[in-house]
Amino acid sequence: MQPDRIASPVGTPLFETISVSKAYGAYMALSNVSFSVSDGEFVSIVGPNGAGKTTLVNVVTGLLRPTVGEVRFLGRDIAGVGPVELARRGMSRAFQLVNIFPALTVRETLAVAVASRLRRISNPFRSLKRDDALQADVERVADVLGLRARLDSISSTLSQGEKKLVDIASAFALNPTVILLDEPTSGVSTGDKHSIMEVLVVAARAAGVRAIVQVEHDMDLVERYSHRIVALQEGSLLADMPPDAFFADPAMISAVVGARPQTRRRAP
Amino acid sequence: MTELVDVVLGGTFHAAVLFLVAAGLQLVFGVQKIVNLACGSFYALGAYFGITAVGMALKLGMPAPLFFPVLTLAGLAIGLVGLPIERVLRTIYRRDESYQLLITFGFLLMFQYVFRFLWGATPRSMDNVYMAYGTTQIWGVRVPTYNLLVIAASLGIAVALGLLLERTRTGRIVRATAENRDMAEGLGVNASKIFALVFTVGCMLGTVGGALVVPSSAASLDMAVELVVEAFAVVVIGGLGSMRGALVGALIVGLMRAAAISLMPEMEMLSVYLVVVAALILKPAGLFGKATA
Amino acid sequence: MSIPSIDISSPVRAQRSVLRVNGLWVLLGLLAIMALLPMVASPYAIILMLPFMGYGIALLGFNLLFGTTGLLSFGHALFLGTGAYTAAVLTFKFGVLSFELLLITAALISGLISLAVGALCVRYTRIFFGMLTLAFGMLFHSFLYKFYNITGGDQGMRVLRPLLLGMEWRGGKTAFLTGPFYYYALALFALLSLAMWRITASPFGLHLRAIRENAGKAAYVGVQIFRMRLAAFVISAVYGGIGGVILAVTTGLADPELAYWTHSGNLVFMAVLGGSGTFAGPAIGALAFVLLQDFVMSITQYWRFVMGAVLVLLVVFMPQGLSGAAEFLVNRRKGGR
Repeated sequence: MQPDRIASPVGTPLFETISVSKAYGAYMALSNVSFSVSDGEFVSIVGPNGAGKTTLVNVVTGLLRPTVGEVRFLGRDIAGVGPVELARRGMSRAFQLVNIFPALTVRETLAVAVASRLRRISNPFRSLKRDDALQADVERVADVLGLRARLDSISSTLSQGEKKLVDIASAFALNPTVILLDEPTSGVSTGDKHSIMEVLVVAARAAGVRAIVQVEHDMDLVERYSHRIVALQEGSLLADMPPDAFFADPAMISAVVGARPQTRRRAP
Repeated sequence: MTELVDVVLGGTFHAAVLFLVAAGLQLVFGVQKIVNLACGSFYALGAYFGITAVGMALKLGMPAPLFFPVLTLAGLAIGLVGLPIERVLRTIYRRDESYQLLITFGFLLMFQYVFRFLWGATPRSMDNVYMAYGTTQIWGVRVPTYNLLVIAASLGIAVALGLLLERTRTGRIVRATAENRDMAEGLGVNASKIFALVFTVGCMLGTVGGALVVPSSAASLDMAVELVVEAFAVVVIGGLGSMRGALVGALIVGLMRAAAISLMPEMEMLSVYLVVVAALILKPAGLFGKATA
Repeated sequence: MSIPSIDISSPVRAQRSVLRVNGLWVLLGLLAIMALLPMVASPYAIILMLPFMGYGIALLGFNLLFGTTGLLSFGHALFLGTGAYTAAVLTFKFGVLSFELLLITAALISGLISLAVGALCVRYTRIFFGMLTLAFGMLFHSFLYKFYNITGGDQGMRVLRPLLLGMEWRGGKTAFLTGPFYYYALALFALLSLAMWRITASPFGLHLRAIRENAGKAAYVGVQIFRMRLAAFVISAVYGGIGGVILAVTTGLADPELAYWTHSGNLVFMAVLGGSGTFAGPAIGALAFVLLQDFVMSITQYWRFVMGAVLVLLVVFMPQGLSGAAEFLVNRRKGGR
């Protein structure tokens, strides 16, 4: 099946890692990882547990400084920049474990992000409810992610899948250039997985997000939606290729997933 | 030079007592994941009760040198107040930390007024009973032998505690429950009993500490809150959840306070609070800690 | 499993309750009733309301920190102290009698001190924050005690009767306190309530709530955690300072016990009693406290002990406080969940 493509010509990379290594004492979490993401791409980072995916994501989002190498976003160095500055520059991130504001409504959750982006914080006396531009933005994001009906529900009462969507929605509400999703469908039932991915891709297009990067374990989703797969193994870059090439190579698959089961022998 | 020795000995004495309370704190935190603000109250309780107990015993004709065991026993006995308090705390074990802060703070407040009501607002002391053991000469300075006894006792308790936790079956059960309560329960451990035991032991460490310190100083209404702040400094330096950290932290805080007192004798109370602020600025990550703010 | 909210005062509801929106009206309604009080009540009762107003204002600030931002301070009485002593120093030492100047200066000084104290304290949360604020509160108390040449030590410092809007009151103290000062304080309380309402209903207030709910996530959606917390701390200190001025003018004295940790404990108690989850809650707690304290004055010792015990019981059985419980009951009646 053809992956949905966010139509856009490939140009200079939106972000790139250049020979990034991260050492914790003697332990090399990442060794010499270089990859880039360009306009219109949907890139999946895959690899077994402990391969360094989370470390890579943390380095790429400016949370960790690489021991060696550079990380650039829109041409500028973002090593150790921190989440707030990162959001300001145009990259936002959604998390693996459900990460919500339990007592806030969906509307309020999105409003937090929109308020940051629109810089509404300097005046503590301005009204939140009557800020039409802000509320319009909140509703726009909710629409795009199918959360309209849930706007006034308190986050802790939502279902697991809805909570994930809210988390992703708040990342979208920052109007990011690049959005980074850490296992966006983990803990979600299979049926929901596909609907979340569909919503994601459509929403990204609608919201003007120029690239999506995700860490995923579900290889079916990876195969179906990615333009490129970046595979890590024990901290090193194993592969950086389109899904067709990746899945055509059994060595790749077994390295990442483990051996595909042999065809079952017929029962006598 | 004598001043330095004074500071070292005085600081170590204070550290010995501080360690007992801090050890109690660490124990309770390690197992129940609760930071007991009321540890200061237990400390003060031990002090006040110790004075009363020794006073009564002396009136009944007890020979002065026996005051040390009487004091220790009094401290242990009053530590049993931990049992009913633990029952109340049970209601908030699995709830958010704000609850635990509020409840233990409530206890701190409660006890403050109990002290005021039972023992009055003026500081109480023990009238030199501790001199029954005379003084010793160390490095050119005369110290009450009692102080050295306390330091030795504290070290003894530290070692005993360590052995208990590492070598005995109960100790292993306690450590297992600390690591993973649910799993321990799944293996047949009665977690409630363990919690009650640990909390009471922690409480007793506090009350004994308070009882032991009082002969050479005094019991006052400010004791409780001062100790909470000092214990906090110990935790900041030594880290939350570590016994070794409690020892090192207590030593550092004790010495820092003794030094501050010798430099600004008027500022005894002030020095405690300054020590905390200094500790935080210098060592916010703690030396051995497992938990952060 | 989702992260449990650290907002101790809110039970889980599916929809935001209607009553929550009207918190400001509840408070203003209460104040409106208070405006009528001098017509029916004795001078004693009226004067009793003045500490309520002082505490109420201080609690508006305290709850911005606790209820809204999730930071529990055990040393908030420090700012009651800074406000009171500012009033004392200005009126007694420098002869500055304009009440407006007292308020502004107290606000400024409390704000400046809180900037320094907060810069250290808000780097930490929860137990560490609580302990640090406790330590700073006691540090200030020690300072007030020890430097008795400046502060009057345990005797405290006198606070002279100020001029309200430039006008001097030539009558007796009781008439002053039950008359012009009472209405002035009431109006001030109303104004500051309105201001605090605007603050909590703003995007700034929303960011504070986000920090309370999930600081980690908040950072990822662009919330400047340190800056926001510090701002909340400073605002709460300003309110505390103003409350302190009112307390000081009422008693005519700035006393070091104002900054003692048990006084901070009173504030915590009032907030929890009234309910830290609603806007009017803490003020209601202040009222309840002031009335109860007066009512049980004859057995003072027991009362204070009972206060600590009640705090424990509240946390166990009714952490949402009086107003939270009331809100819950009203919503049950209305059929909402």
